[in-house]
Amino acid sequence: MRAALLVAVRLTGFDLRRYLIGALLWLPVSVIPLAGGLLLRALFDHISGQRAAALEVSLWLCAAFVGVELVRGAVLVVAFTYGVYWWDAAATLLRANVLRSVMTARGPAAARLPHAPGESVGRLRDDVSDLVELADESVPLAGALLFGGAAVAIMVSIDPLITLVLVLPMIGIGVLSRLMNEVVRRLHQRARTLGAAVTAYVGEMFGAVLAIKTAGAEEAVLERLRLHNSRRRAAAVKDGMATDLLGAATAASVEVSIGLVLLLSAAAMRRGEFTVGDLALFTSYVGWLAALPRTVGGILYRLPQAAVATERLTGLMAGHEDAADLSRSSGVWFHREPPPAGPVPDRADPLEVVEIRGLSVRHAGGGHGVREVDLTVRRGSFTVVTGAVGSGKTTLVRALLGLVPLTGGTIAWNGVRVEDPGTFMVPPRAAYVSQVPRLFSASLRENLLLGRPDDHLAGALRLAAFDEDLAGMPDGAATVVGPRGVRLSGGQVQRATAARALVRAPELLVVDDLSSALDVETELLLWDRIAAAGDGGGPATLVVVSHRKAALERADQIIVLDRGRVAGRGRLSELLDGCAEMRRLWSEELFSEAEEDPHYPAGRRSR
Amino acid sequence: MTTPITGVLRELRPGRRSAVALAAAISAATLLPLSAPQLTRRFVDDAVAGAGTRHLVLLALAFLAVAVAAQAARVVTAWLAGRLAWDGTNRLRERLAQHALGLDMAFHGRHTPGEMIERVDGDVVAVARFVVAFLMDVVASLLLLGGVLVVVFAVDPLIGGALLAYCLLAGFGMARAQRLAVPTAARSRAASAMLFGHLEEWLAGAEDIRANGAGEHTVYRFHQVASSWYREELRASRIGSVLLASTGVAFAAGTAIILALAAWAQQAGTLTVGTAVLLFQYTLMVRAPFERLIEQLRQYQSALAGFARVGDLLARRRALPDPVDPRPLPAAGPLGLELDGVGFAYGDDEQVLSGITLTLAPGETLGLVGRTGSGKTTIARLLLRLYDPTEGAVLVGGLDLRAADPASVRRRVCAVTQDVQLFAAGVRDNLTLFRPHADDDRLRAVLDEVGLGPWLAGLPDGLDTELRGVSAGEAQLLALARAFLADPGLVILDEASSRLDPVTERRVERSIDRLLAGRTGVLIAHRLSSLSRVDKIAVVAEGRIVEYGRRADLAADPGSRFGRLLDVAGVRR
Repeated sequence: MRAALLVAVRLTGFDLRRYLIGALLWLPVSVIPLAGGLLLRALFDHISGQRAAALEVSLWLCAAFVGVELVRGAVLVVAFTYGVYWWDAAATLLRANVLRSVMTARGPAAARLPHAPGESVGRLRDDVSDLVELADESVPLAGALLFGGAAVAIMVSIDPLITLVLVLPMIGIGVLSRLMNEVVRRLHQRARTLGAAVTAYVGEMFGAVLAIKTAGAEEAVLERLRLHNSRRRAAAVKDGMATDLLGAATAASVEVSIGLVLLLSAAAMRRGEFTVGDLALFTSYVGWLAALPRTVGGILYRLPQAAVATERLTGLMAGHEDAADLSRSSGVWFHREPPPAGPVPDRADPLEVVEIRGLSVRHAGGGHGVREVDLTVRRGSFTVVTGAVGSGKTTLVRALLGLVPLTGGTIAWNGVRVEDPGTFMVPPRAAYVSQVPRLFSASLRENLLLGRPDDHLAGALRLAAFDEDLAGMPDGAATVVGPRGVRLSGGQVQRATAARALVRAPELLVVDDLSSALDVETELLLWDRIAAAGDGGGPATLVVVSHRKAALERADQIIVLDRGRVAGRGRLSELLDGCAEMRRLWSEELFSEAEEDPHYPAGRRSR
Repeated sequence: MTTPITGVLRELRPGRRSAVALAAAISAATLLPLSAPQLTRRFVDDAVAGAGTRHLVLLALAFLAVAVAAQAARVVTAWLAGRLAWDGTNRLRERLAQHALGLDMAFHGRHTPGEMIERVDGDVVAVARFVVAFLMDVVASLLLLGGVLVVVFAVDPLIGGALLAYCLLAGFGMARAQRLAVPTAARSRAASAMLFGHLEEWLAGAEDIRANGAGEHTVYRFHQVASSWYREELRASRIGSVLLASTGVAFAAGTAIILALAAWAQQAGTLTVGTAVLLFQYTLMVRAPFERLIEQLRQYQSALAGFARVGDLLARRRALPDPVDPRPLPAAGPLGLELDGVGFAYGDDEQVLSGITLTLAPGETLGLVGRTGSGKTTIARLLLRLYDPTEGAVLVGGLDLRAADPASVRRRVCAVTQDVQLFAAGVRDNLTLFRPHADDDRLRAVLDEVGLGPWLAGLPDGLDTELRGVSAGEAQLLALARAFLADPGLVILDEASSRLDPVTERRVERSIDRLLAGRTGVLIAHRLSSLSRVDKIAVVAEGRIVEYGRRADLAADPGSRFGRLLDVAGVRR
């Protein structure tokens, strides 16, 4: 709760000038209705004939009533339009801070991102809205307080007793909101979690449509959808009910207050001490005054929601970051070009040797991980990590890059221990081609450069054997690819992302298994070109996960993993002599490569 | 467009009892507020006339009771409507999911799971929300408006006429103005969709971005996208706030007109002060339903688009025609297979297969050999009737698949493909695909058979452990285990072991042999060694069969492609 308040307070402060101007513009919108009430009072007193006046005065009062609303409308347009900047800027600030943390903060990001990216997006959309809304409520609150103060003063001058009694239902609402806070928070969180579960399940269902159809499991899969649906329904109905009850309670307080005015004024009215005009004024003010407990109540029931939102957003951020980092004033650029990412750090300490000692990773949900792996990678070497499925190859390279949390062991760069591999093993030191690489909806050029200058682009494209593909694209490097663009084949995506890593001219290039998308020949071509590039712009040092002949034969050292442990290390010839696991892997690879292409005997493919 | 929308509405229709309950609640929530001003009128008139305090206090108490009851009615209405909304949403979502699952793979090939989430979740929620809000707001608002007009007419026909004219004018004006706001609102929504679409892509690719040092650049790009989102929001809010302000002014004008008329009538002596108060209160009551109506008018546009998309999806039919007189495949035993001059093309694209003719007796196995893209996987898809051939016929168990009962095809023909699709659910559910048929012992036995026994033993909650971080190979083994659970008469293994390392594969091979025992099998395998026990071999190149025969004959023929292949791979002929 405190964290949510901190975020709200800091959101008001990141652009204090705009926030204050916006608030000052907004306040008249809340205060002007005071005049409307006074006009109504005068009008009804005229109509009830308690003040001797002509019809003409009544008509003028009616005209003034419209005039007041005109002024209020004009102010509202200005305040509203001005306020959009603040609202959007605050939301952008929070989103940018979370995004920056996910993308750049110390510590592995994989551990904190939820299973489905859709869920993270949900948090960045709805939870951010909840928090900004909370901060935004402060302005209507101030307006309602200002109006309330003035209205109460006017009402006290008419009838202190009735005014006093009117305040009671409003206090009651405040207390009720307070009591229901915790319940609302729990219900809200549950409804959101179950809602996300339905969305995630629908996604999985259509992702697995082939398996479902070939198994004829449609009915069972739909039955599970019904289960998810009904769980969500129960939670959502309860959540809505709790919120509605609070809303109804505030609304009822207005009606009850009007009833109380009638009740208490009965005697005074009979005596003529309380006029019909006074009644009109009280009725009119009570309606507006209801904004006060409603706004207070609004903030009170937004608070628990905001607390959940803060938890969920900081949950996406690194372990050492908290609500203060979430709401850090990191800048918003709506009217100017945002500052580009800083230049690549200098190659202050060129790679001589990377030493991995006793590296262990344990997966939370089963799986082998890796245990006690030692590995030394020298400059200019070609290291191949190979092994059976589930032996920990991908885990090992991801650990080296700091993408998964280490449960033991150290990584040292030129003899100096790397404290946070996640932020250290990045360009120009290291770059990565993952097993399931991603392209984003943008031009191919943007996808490859991602902010880098393009001086290495042509070279990288050639090295990655992507130059021919590019020539065949409709708009060349300007072709929009990714989910909302041209769909590339698996091999093209893999080579494009290889080019993306090569553009960064890393000293250490880490490549996870390319074989699922590249055929034997293309992979061979890739290694040939990268090796031939040597010092001339290509990466000096390679760590590659592969079971392909082309890679294994080329390797200076091969690390054979078996169930997370090192089963052998050395050159291919040594391992074929001394490591049974390597022999098994090698002979099977030969079969597989021969089979893949019946037109060409395997012998013709080695150079 | 009418038909799909009525189809969608049918799914959302509540049951009779719920509908009656909701109607009662809405009526109460409308009538109770309508009666409150009557009480204030009597209160004012009687007070001015000098009635007894006791009488006035009773009136005030009645007002209190009516007010509280009205709120209670509103809460009950909201509760009922919420339940109905979710029931309708869920029903529609389930119906749509069922329908979409029934569509062909040709459809799913063109639509990503992300798009399907939008249709089956996003659009459905939007549509169902709209329908319920429509009931709640439009019906209730019109009732209230009508009620107010009737009462005011009864009080003073002239003022009633003025109020009616005013309502018509205001409604017309607001609807017109709303039309101005729709395009900007649509653009602002599109900008917001763009913003979150980018965020989703970046988050999904977080590791690629981090390890390639592009984190700061991504934040830079985010600021750019956020900036264009802000510009659209600003444009939309300009129009939106002008509309909001004009509404306020319009209602103040309406109130002023009614009050002026009331003042005039009172001066003329045809109307009491209490009635003036009553008219004032009714005029105030007109505003809220108007605003709700306009809000629904705004939602209507986007809901209409949602309706159209949902209806479109519901209207989509399977391209594979259902057999007129479906006949089941033989219920037990191995199924014979015959491909007779089969040709195939995806849509209007070039021919993928042509002149494929193959015969397998029940219990025989066939190995398909050929490089990636030669058409092996397409043959497998035809055997599963995920597509129909464009030429020739596929006969399983002597029956043309186009004439076979689809359910029996699913039961009797089973496939393990190269892409394994898993759910974030327990091991059990992933094996059975949520079907309740197999007992745990059977599941354990099956996992043992594919070599996942030790893996299962290492899981914290055994079969109930939620699958997370499963390696590609383990996923493949799980898919194989699914096949073991079924009792197919024809098994298709499409690169079923491509993700397995040789050691694991050998373990699995024995299980595959067991699976194929007494069944017909078509094997598309990466490794020639796993084709050592098939009866026949077909070598596929560029959509045609370039070599076809018994494995033993081909292996013995020194000039055969298959034989040469065995030699280079070092597999014994």
